[in-house]
Amino acid sequence: MTGIGKPLDRKENRRFLTGGGRFIADLDVAGVHDAVFVRSSLAHGSIHSIDSSDALAADGVVAVLTADDLDDDSNAIERTFYTLDPAFVEEASVFLAPYSEPLFARERVVRSGEALAMVVATDRAAAEDGRDLVFADIDPLEVVADIEAALEVDSPQIHPDIPGNLHGRFAVKVGHPEAVETGHSVTGRFRVHRSLGSPIENRGVIAEWSDGKLTVWSTTQIPHVLKSFLCEALGLSEESVRVAAPDVGGSFGGGIYPEEILVPWAAMKLGVPIRWLEDRTEQLSGSRHSRDQVIDATLSFGSNGKFEALSMRILQDCGAFNPFGITLPYNSASHARSVYRIDNFSCEALCVATNKTRNTPVRGAGRPEVIFVLERLIDMAAEETGIDAVALRRQNLIRAEEMPFPMGMLYRDGVPMVYDSGDFPAQFELALDISDYPELKRQKAEANEQGRLLGVGVATHVEGTGFGPHETAVVGVDFKGEVYVHTGAQPHGQGLETSLAQVCSEVLDLEANRITVWGGDTALTETGGGTFGSRSAVTAGSAVLEASRQLRDRALGLAATALGSESSQLELRDGLVTDGKRTVTFAELALVASEDEGLPLEATIEWTPPTVTFGSGTAVALVEVDQETGLVDVLEYTAVDDCGTVLNPAVVKGQLEGGVVHGLGNALLEEARYDDQGQFLTGSFMDYLLPTAMDVPQMKVAHRSHPTPLNPLGAKGVGEGTTSSAPAAIINAICDALGVQATEMPLTPERIRGLLTGKAKETAWS
Amino acid sequence: MVDLTDGPHDALGIELNVNGELVSSTVPVRQSLADWLRAELGLFSIHLGCEHGVCGACTILVDGRSVRSCLMLAVQADGTDITTAEHLAEEGGLNSLQASFNQHGALQCGYCTPGFLMTATEYLREGGTPDRERIKERLAGNLCRCTGYQSIVEAVASAAEELDDQ
Ligand code: FES
Ligand code: FES
Repeated sequence: MTGIGKPLDRKENRRFLTGGGRFIADLDVAGVHDAVFVRSSLAHGSIHSIDSSDALAADGVVAVLTADDLDDDSNAIERTFYTLDPAFVEEASVFLAPYSEPLFARERVVRSGEALAMVVATDRAAAEDGRDLVFADIDPLEVVADIEAALEVDSPQIHPDIPGNLHGRFAVKVGHPEAVETGHSVTGRFRVHRSLGSPIENRGVIAEWSDGKLTVWSTTQIPHVLKSFLCEALGLSEESVRVAAPDVGGSFGGGIYPEEILVPWAAMKLGVPIRWLEDRTEQLSGSRHSRDQVIDATLSFGSNGKFEALSMRILQDCGAFNPFGITLPYNSASHARSVYRIDNFSCEALCVATNKTRNTPVRGAGRPEVIFVLERLIDMAAEETGIDAVALRRQNLIRAEEMPFPMGMLYRDGVPMVYDSGDFPAQFELALDISDYPELKRQKAEANEQGRLLGVGVATHVEGTGFGPHETAVVGVDFKGEVYVHTGAQPHGQGLETSLAQVCSEVLDLEANRITVWGGDTALTETGGGTFGSRSAVTAGSAVLEASRQLRDRALGLAATALGSESSQLELRDGLVTDGKRTVTFAELALVASEDEGLPLEATIEWTPPTVTFGSGTAVALVEVDQETGLVDVLEYTAVDDCGTVLNPAVVKGQLEGGVVHGLGNALLEEARYDDQGQFLTGSFMDYLLPTAMDVPQMKVAHRSHPTPLNPLGAKGVGEGTTSSAPAAIINAICDALGVQATEMPLTPERIRGLLTGKAKETAWS
Repeated sequence: MVDLTDGPHDALGIELNVNGELVSSTVPVRQSLADWLRAELGLFSIHLGCEHGVCGACTILVDGRSVRSCLMLAVQADGTDITTAEHLAEEGGLNSLQASFNQHGALQCGYCTPGFLMTATEYLREGGTPDRERIKERLAGNLCRCTGYQSIVEAVASAAEELDDQ
């Protein structure tokens, strides 16, 4: 059969393999006009004037819109992406400055690339020609491009209402870290540079306003959220707005962006459909930036190696605007202890404003940073104590019999944080086993004798997945007897069309390829959460499970009446219900439902998780470093992950492997750079390096499933875990190869050369 | 042939073979081949991930060679023979490479997929072997953010094996 756990080929594959995918740029909207944005070349400045007259005279240009076309009230997004429980705010001493992000810059620009104007023309080439003719007169102001400089007392202020360039802060404490006196500790200042989500498809928005109805297509992960932002921003009722996502070419990080409001606004104002297709430079410079933390951390341990306390202070470079509040550094805090028992913990975090693009959650979202810090500290502690790094980890793992394990602090949803299920030691040993860890160590030793630099690294992770609030599923049968699943989730590569069909297939005993799954459209489900934060298998999966069960019960009830039998005597499968002698089809039941009850044969569930459920994993990496060039070759990589109930092993394997390689990019290649004037330096794929097929090791991925009791499927999210541990495992391996303790990521060839020469100097001096 | 020497033009006539059909058209001289194939012929397998010639999502075959259609002008395609991912298999079917991608889970969001298929098609047509290292080298000019590449490499290798057996 095709139910939960079967390795089905994905239903969506066929259309993508034959050129049948329909992405935003492929949509055909009659009379559509193209929009492009004029963007600030300066990172900080005051705007004198914007002269559009030449542009307006150019062929094909129909309008140039600026902040002057919007009144002050409607020229800003002020809604944030978090709601914090007052008890949580109190407990974590949360402070947050107000968030207000202009749609078009007015008076001042605060980052390079900020939108100054929108040029609308009959086609894209004409719009781009027009863009070159818009002249913006901007006086430069002093730029804040460095996170530490931003906090200095005499630093220029980026926003008048954000004193000290402080977007926010929090502090959490578990146990009594200040009272721990072991006499043994390791400390470091760690830097995790800025990196990008960088899907291969750029963003895009198309909006059409006709007959008082607004239809918006966007490459969004969160159509229902965008809809409610639009209703608020444009003063429209819920009924008059539809937001739909077509096929979306990856995302890896999200939010709502000014362009998603401006394009619909312009379509309403000008009365023509408008399309904006982002280009690669805009994507790299202006969306989905992440990481960018400086972390001071200390791990204290007993002379026997038992971890006693971890304390950290995080500076998070949030860029000019901070719609995500403390989300990222709080994710860091809540995942900082990974799978280890550390009873005393403290974390203080400052969210700092700089003249850069806003920071958003990108695959891993605050976790890769702290996992890197923790797993580096553990290797440093191993060196300090002389205890083997693997043995040191092993002795500090939370044991299976200690689960569920309370972590002594609140999760971001305000619920006490508990590792709900899993067997960390078994998972750890399995990863060592699969990777053949002793053999890797032997290879390293052998290579060293030949003068080659090989190293082995180990790291772990946990990941709170399936974040609330809710997700919606509608499961129904149409008059032809076809089964459909509608969900508020918005798949963009996760294979949800297949995995959700499998969940429904399991309940209805019906082949998954006879079940059609639709998502990402506000016309399908009234409410919906969206797909982010490794949540959809958990939230949409559970909603589909419950809705399928409800539909099944209704079908059985209707069939019982129709056949005059007890529903307990009936069997439902393959789109039929039978009592052994007689049979009714789903199509007939749909008709009965409509005629007798006046209702579709359909069930709707809005499923809300009680809190997050924790996935976890262990990774082992073997690397070789070229001492001449500083280039790193990751030779072998093993990842073991616990994602609870596996809906489709092929989909899970894909998520695990893709996650590893994203983490590999973070470890070695990916760095979004600015100069000291806030100019973005990595605006093409030649400057911002994504891993290619050449960079990828032989990967072995496996799962060791411990279903969670927190949802009816037992599923945990799987989208981000391996991205969280990969940088730590790879960098630990590099440090093992070089015999150094690195504190920065990515470890680019130039940084590795720096470490090697630094070490050479040290040896020369000593 | 288009004569490019007789002074500036806004548009020029071209005639070429696209997916087995002869097409003639007048194209703006500054339009990229990718934009023209998408807009005029609806060949939406051509994806524009960067328009800088780096990501490979726009890869098509021009006279049997893989080409980044974002870096070529439509007028330069005059007289050529073009194949896109729409034309790899019979209507409604999958060829052995596509079937192998399906089996190995070599795609997630599907945005990079047509580009990989075209690069791999060229490799297989040249008699490419299942050697993983050679396949990786050949695929290194196509970016994928979702899959982590291993499944794509496996898919190409097993398609190459299948061709070897034939
Ligand atoms: S779009 Fe042509 S190479 Fe990226
Ligand atoms: S499958 Fe999404 S970019 Fe390759």
